[in-house]
Amino acid sequence: MRPDIRTKLLIVFAFSFLGIYYQNIKILFFLLLANILVNFLFGISFKVRGLKAVILFTFMIMLIQSFFIKGGTPVIEIMGFNLLSTAGLVYGIKILLRTYILLTSALILINSDKNELVLGLVKLKVPYEIVFMLQLAMRFLPNFIDELKITIYAIQLRGINLKQIYKKEVLSVYIYIFTPIMYSIFQKTEKLSATAEIRGFRYIENRSYYKNIKMRFVDYSIIFLVIVMTCLLLYFV
Amino acid sequence: MNYIEINKVYYKYRNAVDYAVKNISITVSKGELILITGGNGSGKSTLLKLIMKAIKPASGVVHLDGKNINSYSITEIGRKIGFVFQNPNHMIFNTTVYDEFVFGLKQIKKSIDEIDELAEYYLHKFDLYRLRNRNPFNISEGQKQLLVISSVLAMQPDFLILDEPTTGIDSTHKHTLINMFNEIHSNGTGIIIISHDNKLINELDGREIFMSQGEIVETY
Repeated sequence: MRPDIRTKLLIVFAFSFLGIYYQNIKILFFLLLANILVNFLFGISFKVRGLKAVILFTFMIMLIQSFFIKGGTPVIEIMGFNLLSTAGLVYGIKILLRTYILLTSALILINSDKNELVLGLVKLKVPYEIVFMLQLAMRFLPNFIDELKITIYAIQLRGINLKQIYKKEVLSVYIYIFTPIMYSIFQKTEKLSATAEIRGFRYIENRSYYKNIKMRFVDYSIIFLVIVMTCLLLYFV
Repeated sequence: MNYIEINKVYYKYRNAVDYAVKNISITVSKGELILITGGNGSGKSTLLKLIMKAIKPASGVVHLDGKNINSYSITEIGRKIGFVFQNPNHMIFNTTVYDEFVFGLKQIKKSIDEIDELAEYYLHKFDLYRLRNRNPFNISEGQKQLLVISSVLAMQPDFLILDEPTTGIDSTHKHTLINMFNEIHSNGTGIIIISHDNKLINELDGREIFMSQGEIVETY
């Protein structure tokens, strides 16, 4: 099933809103399952670079945060010291579920055609300048990540062992790493700006588009379903 | 003993249809000079990344100074081999030419006197001394390339690997660079150069390896 990008945006918004609104673990879990099901129905691939790392990282953050919330009955007690309590665990699980709901919602957009996303936002009357900025950010994010990797390699080859930096050196190392990247960003920005001007950017207010997107019956049905289910959920739960 | 050994290495980039390097085997002795040439996309830079441990081969093995490259950290590799990337902007971390030159020397704990001496020598050699207080991002691409090369040379590694080192460099400085390469090679430093520059290839006396579509086609 390939719904229109505007339908996907509504679904992402609905899940994100409900995920932030609700505090109940059971509802959050249900929302996560529903979100995963929607991803499967749309044929969304979970094979995204770095997804495993993000999931693991989020889980670690959840665990760490849980240790700082006190209340309820102790779960892990070491020599009379309450390390982890039920309140901490519940809090951590809520954060985890909420984050995973946002992640799985983001997958719907990550797996969408970027040109369709731009077109969808324009049709939703988002100012074109903002849409263009978003498009550029999506276009250059992989480049930025690659440049970051190269720079980190280069600095290690020049003698900085990133696994053995003293605390007082951490800030200077970050400055070394981000100096060439910031320069690269400014340079790209300048060239992009000149290129865009040369190619007639905003010369005419309403530009044309090579592709077109159209809402179909299935899109309207999905939108109707999403709105009704969201309202029912908010009303009854 | 071979200093660098690449043995039956295959590597494919993510989402690529074909291998970037296929069944590559190269041995490089200590102090040897190798020139690697080939068309665009022939796998030259991929080879460099394999030696740098930036990527892991799908199969095959890379050895450095008798040990598997996986047993070295990137910093340890950098101490043995001086790398110069094709784009010098990736290798500039400081806000003055002088600071950039001495950056690596400070990491390897050279004394202030040694650092000053090396800076005087190399910056004058490559006509960069007058630019020592300039922001390295505001000098020409050729000057950046010379700065990066000189700062890596100053660290006196056992081996040098350079990817298109003469890009953006004028003929006068190219001549200085070629003489420098010949000089350090005669002093025992091994060099691997990836280049399309015929002048550079003709004026350096070393083994030439020609690559095409990820494979070694000819060695002479």
